[in-house]
Amino acid sequence: MQKTSSTKIFFIIGFLLLTGYYLQFSVRHWLEERHIETLSDQERIEYRVQNEERLTHLRTNSLSFGLDLQGGMYVTLELATHQLISELARDQRDDFFDEVLEAAFERSRTTNVDIVSEFVSEFERRDAGARLSRYFHMGSDELTRASTNDEVQAYLNNQRSAAVDRAVEIIRNRIDRFGVTEPSIVKQGENRIVVELPGVEDDQERVRGLLRGTARLEFRTMPQASEVRNTFERVVNLLNETETIEPEDEDGEPETRTRNPLTEVLIDIGGPDIRFGYATTQDTARVNEILRREEVQRAIPANMELLWGSRTEPIGGGTMAHPLLAVRANVELTGEVITDARPAFDPQTNRPEVSMTMNREGARRWSMITAANIERPVAIILDGIVYSYPTVRTQISDGRSSISGLGGLAEAEDLVNILLSGALPAPLEIIEERTVGATLGEASIRAGFNSAMAALLFVCIFMIFYYRTGGGIANIALLLNIVFILGILSAFKATLTLPGIAGIVLTIGMAVDANVLIFDRIREEQRAGKSLIASIESGYSNAMSAILDANITTFLTAVILFSFGMGPIKGFAVTLMAGIVASLFSAIIITRVVVDWMTIGKKFNVSFG
Amino acid sequence: MRLFEDPKFEFIHNRKIGYMISGALIILSIGAILVKGLQFGIDFRGGVEIVVAFEGTSPTVESVRSDLSEPLGSIPEVKTFGADVIIRSDADMETDEIQRTILATMAQVHPENPASIIKADIVGPRFAEDLRNAALQAVLFALGIIFVYILIRFKKWYYSAGAVAALAHDVIITLGLFTLLYDIVPFSLDIDQAIIAAFLTIVGYSLNDTVVVYDRIRENSLIFKTEAYDNMVNRSVNNTLSRTFVTSVTTLIAVGILFFFGGEVLKGLSFALILGVILGTYSSIFVASSLVVDLQLKKANN
Repeated sequence: MQKTSSTKIFFIIGFLLLTGYYLQFSVRHWLEERHIETLSDQERIEYRVQNEERLTHLRTNSLSFGLDLQGGMYVTLELATHQLISELARDQRDDFFDEVLEAAFERSRTTNVDIVSEFVSEFERRDAGARLSRYFHMGSDELTRASTNDEVQAYLNNQRSAAVDRAVEIIRNRIDRFGVTEPSIVKQGENRIVVELPGVEDDQERVRGLLRGTARLEFRTMPQASEVRNTFERVVNLLNETETIEPEDEDGEPETRTRNPLTEVLIDIGGPDIRFGYATTQDTARVNEILRREEVQRAIPANMELLWGSRTEPIGGGTMAHPLLAVRANVELTGEVITDARPAFDPQTNRPEVSMTMNREGARRWSMITAANIERPVAIILDGIVYSYPTVRTQISDGRSSISGLGGLAEAEDLVNILLSGALPAPLEIIEERTVGATLGEASIRAGFNSAMAALLFVCIFMIFYYRTGGGIANIALLLNIVFILGILSAFKATLTLPGIAGIVLTIGMAVDANVLIFDRIREEQRAGKSLIASIESGYSNAMSAILDANITTFLTAVILFSFGMGPIKGFAVTLMAGIVASLFSAIIITRVVVDWMTIGKKFNVSFG
Repeated sequence: MRLFEDPKFEFIHNRKIGYMISGALIILSIGAILVKGLQFGIDFRGGVEIVVAFEGTSPTVESVRSDLSEPLGSIPEVKTFGADVIIRSDADMETDEIQRTILATMAQVHPENPASIIKADIVGPRFAEDLRNAALQAVLFALGIIFVYILIRFKKWYYSAGAVAALAHDVIITLGLFTLLYDIVPFSLDIDQAIIAAFLTIVGYSLNDTVVVYDRIRENSLIFKTEAYDNMVNRSVNNTLSRTFVTSVTTLIAVGILFFFGGEVLKGLSFALILGVILGTYSSIFVASSLVVDLQLKKANN
């Protein structure tokens, strides 16, 4: 007995030292932060610079708070894989390809299938003998015309994986330029990216733009005003609906009235113009819907596309409306030629803009484009929206250009950021976003801390009341248990979340269970007439199988919760697991050592109530 | 203090009463779920949910709802969230637009009482579906794993069946009560990820209780070989009653404190845990142990 006790004591001391080692970072970090708060602003900066290495070391090793406690923004992004597939096929695409992709995309949205494998199997379903390689081998070194569909599928999966990796890098660049302390950007699963931005809570709109912006910059020429007008008239005529209204009285002539769904929402310019028409902000969706109709699409020339302008323009009568602009379908120049961009102000209007510099190839082509379009407008398009369409006055040969039509300086800065970080391989969609303000976070920490303290107090009182000395010993185990949980969380660099704190509070209630099992067993053994020492001995050993079974099953459910849960919920599972391990250790080993020490030689009067 | 000093309650012989109570609760719960449907939160149905805090006293839920209906173009769901207001909108707008509209409208209607957004959750419909599937899988997977574990540890399928039946009992009734009380209690009972976490914890807790009783049944079945099976199970339940009581009390203290002082975000989670602890304690006696007796007797008769 003496021997086992010393092994146990060795374990306890070892575990305590280890916990102490991991927790000292958090304690020292907390003390440093308190010290820094007493300094003046100037001193603070100096102190942080001088001790940067030590402070960073402390911070990275201390127990960190989740975004739900410290405030911040949590975003899950998903790569638009169907657009990536479409891009990869480039000019080889045909109607059949688009149909298959569309069908696969729709199915992947409604059911739980992966779009890449669905795309391949849909293709095979529709045309069993055909090879997908015909669409992709041109743009790839890995594929040849003879590649099998399985090889194409592997190629697409690799491309997607690479695209997500690239997107992670680009997002990291953008976030770094935006300036967030300790952001976390990680790939999740096949096509998702999880972005955690501590401290971001007011700039949600800007951050959304930064995360999503594909920054596909295009320069396109614009058709002649007369061509635009002809198209406008053709589309309007196509949509004219004549309806006959029966006269009120029987003698009256039937009245005919012409209705046009397009001109009801799209304001007619009235003459030849490079603008197709105007629409107020709330009508743009309706206009898009009409323009998407198949017969309307047929009436628009193949080399003409209609895109909205980014800013509203005054159209008289105090009304502001978005112009719908006609641009050529052909892209003259893309953002890939941009080597530098910076925010600036238009010297004439004093409005913010982004000035850009192009590489030599870009400058050469820009020079040619401007030379061929003197006194004609060129559209500068970003992500499908026309930002500006300045009229070219002279040939521009130095490769400079600018984007105006921006909302403000912040937008100009973000645009520069996006342009310089590189274009995303395919658009990213925000599929989940959670923002918690710092004040709510602080309130949560306080509420969680108070709950834990209150639970601890009441459970301890109850245990002493019910089990006397035994209860006191169990309480020591309970207190150490909490220290161990925090130590385990620090050692595994886990993040403490609000549900995590809830897990600790719950553990406070459940952790005494092992001791309750043991003490009740000791009482039973005593009732059966055994001596105190014998009762303790058989109490511990007889309770063991129940304790293990009960804890293993709870641990299993916590593991399942961990693998299913996301974000904060994972924190709950982690503290539950840490709580089970810690409570087993403290309830079985620590209390045993204390009970043995107190009973041997009858040093104390030990009672189990 | 000794509350249950060698108790001799007739639990098992009165198990029919337990079956009736449980049966009635389960029928009520399933009925409520079928009639009202599960009240999913943002995690599982998607949408935009925003918590707005006012510097002064928050305006009434009804006034916020009517003030926002027109600017948003659809009637939002508005509820209290502690001292604050939670707004859920399915308006056909960009998220940026919804947030701006809410803040602008509140600033216009209550110029003397500035409002700010302290929490915002946006979940896409497809992502919500992913979460729903993952949650369902997790719960079913947990029940499956537990069935297998108990089978391995206790080597009798009726132990497994009793334990899993007790767990399903607890989860169904908790879900049913959540649905029934949804419009009655002044806090959110939306079923979201945190509630699923609570369910799995309930499963873990209830199992904990059941396993302790089972463990004693197994032990007693070796000691009291000649005793009638139902008497032996009843003795085991009584043996462990003191422990069952103490652990339930300490756990209820903890989750009760969490419910009252843990803040608004944890209300639903801690409420589910309170229900779960009570139900789990009850079911380990009246469902898990009782079923073991009936299943064993049935087997013995064959």
